[in-house]
Amino acid sequence: MKRIAILAASCLVLTGCATVGASSDASVLRAKNKVAPALVHIRPVKVVFSGGERREEAVVGSGFIISNDGYVVTNEHVAGESTLVRCVLYDKSEFDAEVVGVDKYTDVAVLKLKSDRKDFPKVALSTSKNLEAGQTVLALGSPQGLARSVSMGIISVTDRYLGGRDESVAPYNNWIQTDAAINPGNSGGPLVNLKGQVVGINARRLGGADNVGFAIPIDIAKQVVDQLIEKGQVTRSNIGVTFQETMSKTDDPKQQGVVIADVDPLSTGAEAGLTPGDIMLSVDNVVTNARFEEDLPAVRKLIADLPVETSVTIKVQRGSEEKEIAVKTQALSDLRGKEVDIADWGFTVSELTPAIVRRAQLASSKGVLISGVQLGSVAGNAGLQQGDIALKLDEKEIDNLDAFANAIKDHIAAKTKLVLLQVKRGALTRFVVVKQGEPVAPQAAAEQGNGDNGNEK
Amino acid sequence: MRSKSIAIAIACLVGSTAFAQEFTAKQLQGFYDKVAPAVCIVSYSSNVTNPSSGEVSKRNTRALGLIVSAKGLVMAHGHMQIQDSDPFAIKITVGQGDNEVEYDGKLLTKPEDVNVCFIEIANNSNVTFPFVQFAPGPLHLGDPIALIGLMGDTLDFNRSVVVRRIGSVLDKPRTTYCLDERLLFGYVGSPVMDLAGHIIGVIGFDLSTQEGGDLYVRSGHPLVYQSDLFAKYIANPPGENDPKVVNDGAFLGVFSQPLTDDLAEYWKLPQEGGIVVSTVMPDSPASAAGIQPGDVIVNFNDTPLKLKLDREVANFTKLVRDAGVGKQVPVKILRAGQPVDTSVTLVERPKSARDAGEFEDKTFGLTVREITTDLRVLLNLAPDVEGVIVRRVKSGSWAQLGEMQPGVIIMNFGGQPVKSLDDFKAAVAKIEAEKPAEFTVFGRAGARTGFFRLQPRWNSSN
Repeated sequence: MKRIAILAASCLVLTGCATVGASSDASVLRAKNKVAPALVHIRPVKVVFSGGERREEAVVGSGFIISNDGYVVTNEHVAGESTLVRCVLYDKSEFDAEVVGVDKYTDVAVLKLKSDRKDFPKVALSTSKNLEAGQTVLALGSPQGLARSVSMGIISVTDRYLGGRDESVAPYNNWIQTDAAINPGNSGGPLVNLKGQVVGINARRLGGADNVGFAIPIDIAKQVVDQLIEKGQVTRSNIGVTFQETMSKTDDPKQQGVVIADVDPLSTGAEAGLTPGDIMLSVDNVVTNARFEEDLPAVRKLIADLPVETSVTIKVQRGSEEKEIAVKTQALSDLRGKEVDIADWGFTVSELTPAIVRRAQLASSKGVLISGVQLGSVAGNAGLQQGDIALKLDEKEIDNLDAFANAIKDHIAAKTKLVLLQVKRGALTRFVVVKQGEPVAPQAAAEQGNGDNGNEK
Repeated sequence: MRSKSIAIAIACLVGSTAFAQEFTAKQLQGFYDKVAPAVCIVSYSSNVTNPSSGEVSKRNTRALGLIVSAKGLVMAHGHMQIQDSDPFAIKITVGQGDNEVEYDGKLLTKPEDVNVCFIEIANNSNVTFPFVQFAPGPLHLGDPIALIGLMGDTLDFNRSVVVRRIGSVLDKPRTTYCLDERLLFGYVGSPVMDLAGHIIGVIGFDLSTQEGGDLYVRSGHPLVYQSDLFAKYIANPPGENDPKVVNDGAFLGVFSQPLTDDLAEYWKLPQEGGIVVSTVMPDSPASAAGIQPGDVIVNFNDTPLKLKLDREVANFTKLVRDAGVGKQVPVKILRAGQPVDTSVTLVERPKSARDAGEFEDKTFGLTVREITTDLRVLLNLAPDVEGVIVRRVKSGSWAQLGEMQPGVIIMNFGGQPVKSLDDFKAAVAKIEAEKPAEFTVFGRAGARTGFFRLQPRWNSSN
């Protein structure tokens, strides 16, 4: 039984290949030739915070030129937080680029080549609306750093939902899944149809699987790119609500709306009285239905696209009642907080995001996250640990990252001998004394140690 | 600490004739002849729960047992009864080669204050077993000791004698003898003979949790558990391993850290040590008495606290535990540098996760537990999070098909609010009676809440 099925399957594949093969050579070449001149091999130097220090790291990615004056689209994870971005074009000419703007939520970045040229080759952007599974696509880019590579496959699924309940993974879009080979280094490169138009941005792949790659649909990217070029950033609204598909409560196809699964207690949604279990039916009379998880990104995007700091009317079903609730939108904070290093003390510290505040069960969003601590450093010796949330400095509340970093810099300049931090570590709080002193040479330290013991005796 | 080591070293030099002594071959042969018959093999299976996934796997283990009474009381290392492991099918193999006899064994309640466990041999025909008699005996740095352990499977678990030395003597939290070298697993629990020929203890690894054991867990250093730590349990063996009435002593409800000299200097307090209150548990005696984070406890129950090191905090914990449930205890505090005299009425220590009630629902495949105070701290749950926590999800069950996972806190089950194990049992019973085609579970996974839909097929055999 099983054997027959396998044979049948391989026959199909072989037949399929033969048909595609006969007609595709010319169209594949035509499509490749249309896009390739605008393909960019990108070599950014990224700022990385790890192990309690700030380091710089050269990486490789891909991108494509979208305008004759040299705007380039790539992934945020390629060009974000970089100090230098070098671009190598298809003709091997090199340009530095500036980062125009990045959006962590969709993983899209826009660069501008530093050049006055107005004749850069550019790609044609298609729409991702009418894609079909089975359609042939090409992926262009620099897999494993190998520039100007082309691979071919088909679209496996047009609307793959990735993310589960972790909204930090592309909350606003589904993904184009393709079996065209995508490897590290392909990130930011174009996924192209046989007309030579860009339908997606290659961004990730499933590790441990063969040929399961994912691209950001170009329609989602276009809207972000426009905002980045215009304003340098993307502004979104937030009401602090996590949604779930209605299938999570019932498989009744008549059930309308989307389930409110969670409400952040520090959000405007909680203030307005939204409650987990409510079914959201509409926002300002726009119906919000999400029966399956693939429908969730559109609902989230609807909220995100609302103007910031305005009141909207949310209709919910609560039990058998329907209620209209006015909720004020607030600006969605950045996915990852700003991070700085305090080199003299050997630690790095970042802003608290609502997700961190929530996870740490903080009563307010005041404080900073200790994101890394170097072993043997002043901070490390004081017992400060990665993941600690510093709430108070010298017994005063820490308002934000800048205030904290400045206060620490003042202490460093003043060589204050003892500085007190109150940190939250898991459910517990703890006092940490940071001791600044003149550095002691190892030899001197050893002698001093012996002396102490002698006194004790 | 260091000055003490020096003192010991001097003592050793003075007694150098004793130090130079080694075991003679004859002595070791005597040790083997006398003690090896009391060394037995404890074989058991255990259900081991993976604490993160909740998956239960079965494992077979063999360990060294030491017969400590003629009736057949066996002592083994405490690792046999650790959290997340549930031993069953216990067999005791006594004797070697052709004389091997296998008996059933029954696990007794594990003592709290020493990391050993006891097994009773099902001695239906009143056999008199060879057993070890212990004698108290102090050890010193450098003393040689002889052990009898089990060799591996391929060597047929033959008994083997090895000689080690005491490499370090710790004085806190109690006198602890550390060996100079590592040992193979088959020596864990071995009898320890001193130069005078007395069996003075057994080989162990960790201190008990009551002794602040986890400080030593990662050291991997074999220790000697002196016989005076467990002699009382040999004289009066603990009861059968039933769910027991918990009495872990008194509870104050603070987490604390020592008043180091640096903290004292920062707060301009005398550098005399103390206990800095870092966290006060809600609804605890400490919060009732108005104790606040930042308070420095300098005297508790008329005992001055001169603690300056992290590991010394265990001494304070012990002081609290032993102070007496229901007792009003005087406490001297420094608050913002000013002395404050107050008192706290200690209560019974809240149930710990180890003793939490558990319920396995066979219909949906969920095993859930009460949320105890320590779990609340471990998982950083706010006081308003109430429910039961999923410990296991049976493979292929309705709950697994509903994508439920270990760690989820169930707050509502099929429309029934769940705040306790009893609520959960009642909710399960109600659904089993009503047999709905589908129902919703509301819970919390990580920091967020969400819904799970369960769709049992009531006519199937699940």
